[in-house]
Amino acid sequence: MSFLPAPLLVRSSAPLARVTGVTRLAAGVLWLVAAAAVPDARGELVLLVTAVIVLVAWSGIPLRPLPRRMWPVALGALGLGLTAALGNAADRDLALPTLLALGPLRLTPPGLEAGLALALRVLVIGLTSLLVFAPADLTRLADALVQQLHLPDRLAYGSVAAMGLAPRTAADWQATGSARRLRGLAPRTPAGRLAAVPGRLLVVLVMAFRRGERLALAMDARGFDSGLPRSRYRPVRAGPLDAVVLAVAVAAVVLVVAVERTG
Amino acid sequence: MTPPPVRAAGFGWTYAGRSRPALHDLHFTLDPGQLLLVVGPSGCGKSTLARALAGIVPHALPGTWTGVLLVGDRDVAGTPPGVLGQEVGLVFQDPETQLVMPHVADEVAFGLENRGWDRERMLAAVPVALAEVGLGGFEARPTGALSGGEQQRLALADILAPLPHLLVLDEPTANLDPPGTAAVLQRLADLTARRDRSIVVIEHRRDALLPLADRVLLLDGEGGQVAFGSPAEVATRHPGALAGGRTWPAVAPPAPGAPVAVEVDAVSAAYPPVAAGPARAAVDGVSFVVRAGERVALVGPNGSGKSTLLQVVAGLRRPTAGTVRLVDPQGHGDDPARLPSAALPGRLALVFQDPEVGFVARRVLDEAGGTAAAPILERFGLAALADEDPFRLSTGEQRRLSLASTALQRPSLLLLDEPTFGLDERGRDAVAALLDEGRHAGQAQLMATHDPRLLPGCDRVVALREGRVIFDGPAARFLGSPPYDPPDPWRLGGVVPRVAVGSAA
Repeated sequence: MSFLPAPLLVRSSAPLARVTGVTRLAAGVLWLVAAAAVPDARGELVLLVTAVIVLVAWSGIPLRPLPRRMWPVALGALGLGLTAALGNAADRDLALPTLLALGPLRLTPPGLEAGLALALRVLVIGLTSLLVFAPADLTRLADALVQQLHLPDRLAYGSVAAMGLAPRTAADWQATGSARRLRGLAPRTPAGRLAAVPGRLLVVLVMAFRRGERLALAMDARGFDSGLPRSRYRPVRAGPLDAVVLAVAVAAVVLVVAVERTG
Repeated sequence: MTPPPVRAAGFGWTYAGRSRPALHDLHFTLDPGQLLLVVGPSGCGKSTLARALAGIVPHALPGTWTGVLLVGDRDVAGTPPGVLGQEVGLVFQDPETQLVMPHVADEVAFGLENRGWDRERMLAAVPVALAEVGLGGFEARPTGALSGGEQQRLALADILAPLPHLLVLDEPTANLDPPGTAAVLQRLADLTARRDRSIVVIEHRRDALLPLADRVLLLDGEGGQVAFGSPAEVATRHPGALAGGRTWPAVAPPAPGAPVAVEVDAVSAAYPPVAAGPARAAVDGVSFVVRAGERVALVGPNGSGKSTLLQVVAGLRRPTAGTVRLVDPQGHGDDPARLPSAALPGRLALVFQDPEVGFVARRVLDEAGGTAAAPILERFGLAALADEDPFRLSTGEQRRLSLASTALQRPSLLLLDEPTFGLDERGRDAVAALLDEGRHAGQAQLMATHDPRLLPGCDRVVALREGRVIFDGPAARFLGSPPYDPPDPWRLGGVVPRVAVGSAA
């Protein structure tokens, strides 16, 4: 019923959970740069396998709920990979051998390679995001962004507060559908359902906006963003482990890119 | 000598874009350590006064300021909110739109961080503030997993932690169940007894707060001051103004042998898992019937399954076991979840706690059912608003509109989720009159409510605890010995807090 998944219960003693959010973010950005830089499917595969090893060994993320969480990413990878494979320019080159024919579509080795590379790249992006964002709760991430990257408090903690309202907004969306059904206005066709969306969305947005406004007033009343410098209840300090994680990430990325580019 | 915590001299405020002031010509002085109860009808500017005392008005909301309002020796209009915030703490009505951080300790520390307290001081102050509101040991809990009453006590801890001189509470119990209300009011009584802080409370449960109040400010419907003085003085000069909330008059029992309108048989339902939500009980083997012309109240603490049960009865959620039979006048039973949407309006309707989620039209008249609904709007006191956008109405008006939109469709079963939430006396009376009309016409009514004052007007009470029915019988028997532990908050007038000895003088 609810489209907001419960948070993953990450083992907080795991190395990746003990470094700051900014360290994970930096390592994740490196990984994505590498995913963009390696030229072929083999390189992406190496990046993916490495990320999976990190996931299993050092992230503390429980594996059991992942299939249910990550299937949209897998589906996206499959879809994009297929599109790239079957829509590849090389597929029209009749000199190349046909691996598979689907009506007017044919699959050639370069097409397969391109599709595979793209699909793997999408998986790398999905898994990297998971490794960056799942190990810490929102508060810790906001703390790191504010204290290490000097993001404005208003943006960081405003987002934390707004996320707290998300479940209510999800419930409102369901309630608008329920109300329409009881009033005899439930759409019977998919087209009708689509046509009802703007009206329901308007209701949900008005309510979310009001709630946000009340929350902002409550934050102001507690002296938030009043111009005084804020102190920190949860200091964020990068330690030796952060240096190790970053160094390992840099080394791994340099190695993969160098080998793949030359090899 | 300490200055008075609040002094108003001709204070008034008009929100930008409004022609009439929200408040005007307030003159009063509160003495240190006193508790001021602000009383007046819905829309009289009570919340505006709370906002002004915290500096939200005029610093965060646009409008026109008149006269003088001093908090301590600071002029509100001329003091930056950050500075004023050192003196004043404000608790709002709705717990979920005032808690900022996902965990309890971080939440209390948030206000201290804003004031730049050093970390050692914060680490010491957070547990003290939590203990003060009875939440000691809750530091690591997710705020979303607390009950409504616990959340409001947390909001109280938030404003106690920075040690302000003035506490302002804007209807802190409006959204709470009876035990939550009793717990918050008891904490308030304890704070009052210490006399080390001044408190301004806006509260619709006057009966509960009058024993604590040193001063009462009575406002009229237009934001003007009617009276200021001790509760005894105000009560003498304005008899009735401070009377406790009226209870719903008892109803004559329905004709014996009235046909069953809905039959709930051994229904169980599971809550869906919700991110960081409170631990949710399910509905577990619930059976009861509601007959035509009968009004049944569904009571129980937060999380006991009332809302889930209403949704199952409305056919909006499939039970995991058991059946719901919606019986038509010919005696034919249907599962409401299987009826087509178009067949539902005459059979059943649900008035949501938040009427807004049900609005489908952009005009009040259309929302009520089109031109045919004009006489209905008249009876619901909404005729003047026929062309307004439903979203621009007040809570009370929205609830009446929500009821009005069910009047044309004449459902044989009317379900209501907290029909008097956020309503003042007048609003409650209006809703009661409308429901009486429906009941006389043979409508079956099932309403979830936290307000014991509504129970005398119900034929029966079905009480839930942890998803099970623990009582099904006449309202008088329920009010006489509520089946909960402790029973007192569920009695009429039962939420009155114990006043510490020697402090009521």
